[in-house]
Amino acid sequence: MVNRKLAKLSKFRYAVLAAILLILSAGLVLLPKYEKHEGINPEELLSNAISPERYITSDQLANRIINQDPSLLLIDVRTAEHYNNYSLLNAINIPLKNLLDEESKAYLYQDAYDIVLYSNDNFYADQAWVLCNRLEYKNLYVLKGGINNWFNTIINPPKPTENMPAEDFELFSNRKAASMFFGVAYPEQAKKKPVEVKKVIPKKIIPVKKKKKMPVEGGC
Amino acid sequence: MKELEKTKRISIASVLFILVIIIGLLAYKRPKHLYSENTISTLEKISTNEYFVTLNDINTPDNVLVDIRNQFEYEKGHLENAINIYAPEILTDENSEIFEKLKTDNKTIILYGNTPSDVVSPYMILYQLGIDNIKILSSEITYFENNLISKDVAIEKYQNDVNAFIQESIKKAAIEVKPKPDIVKTPKKIIPIKKKKKMPVEGGC
Repeated sequence: MVNRKLAKLSKFRYAVLAAILLILSAGLVLLPKYEKHEGINPEELLSNAISPERYITSDQLANRIINQDPSLLLIDVRTAEHYNNYSLLNAINIPLKNLLDEESKAYLYQDAYDIVLYSNDNFYADQAWVLCNRLEYKNLYVLKGGINNWFNTIINPPKPTENMPAEDFELFSNRKAASMFFGVAYPEQAKKKPVEVKKVIPKKIIPVKKKKKMPVEGGC
Repeated sequence: MKELEKTKRISIASVLFILVIIIGLLAYKRPKHLYSENTISTLEKISTNEYFVTLNDINTPDNVLVDIRNQFEYEKGHLENAINIYAPEILTDENSEIFEKLKTDNKTIILYGNTPSDVVSPYMILYQLGIDNIKILSSEITYFENNLISKDVAIEKYQNDVNAFIQESIKKAAIEVKPKPDIVKTPKKIIPIKKKKKMPVEGGC
């Protein structure tokens, strides 16, 4: 009896197995689409985005520009209008809305350069950074405070007051020198050149002591 | 029976295959957080300026203020009716639930921090995860005599015209380019010649 039943079942076994496999393959089609799930996972993105490692200060950046660091690439994410008004030395303009274009990718998706993104504040640059970080673009940095902070520290550094420590004065003179590098002229800078103090060595006058004439005392 | 043995291998293979798939399905763990926006659609969203809220617009019942600063700063002072979700903790189970609930309730989530820039990262991540009813409060928080002061600020405002400043400085310097060449005068030393005092002739021979 059992054997007969088994034989009966085994008649259909291929059909049954085939049916199951077909159902499973149909399931593959229905699997959720993960197209949108590009890039690194959200937890990782969050921990990257929260860490302040991506920020570069204006002093560090100025230093690297002045030393003509060959691995530095500056990218301006502001609009073309702002870029034309003022941009950092040799910066490339990629407005935020063109960030993910094909041409921009050539600049952003590489590992030869350290890329510094900047905007007026660091708001737009941060947004650009988060998007690029999700796409696993490497070596991206953000200028802390953006151009506004750049202006307040490098281009127009505040003069330290007398009660500030010596480091501040040093920092100020560094920044001032940097601002001269970036094209700011100071009146005293122009003055300095012609003044070449010729040192006139005063002739030493050796006072010759005159013989004191003795009052003529008497005579012969 | 014999027929069965002949085709045993095929059956076993296909059964194993199905088993593997079933085990795979059971073991599959859905990631907790999935993006629902890709980078391009996110970029389109942030290119608009619709996601900013000013202080005047926050006091409607549909809005929920979320303070992304840490607990210490939150307790020091926060906006009225704000809840505190510290930025690095926005993806914990608890907080995800809160965000999901707010989303289903059709509330608008307004994030704020010390400056709008602080809110960028949490905003971007939450938006990409599909919480699209989210906005940024475009205001800054400062303290004055331990009182919290919040005032609206313009986002990404070009505060100083750098180019104009540089041109100005060059102009200024150019005017004073001809400083009076101040020759360092070395004062001549005047050696007073002492006149011989004529002595009164005293006697003679």
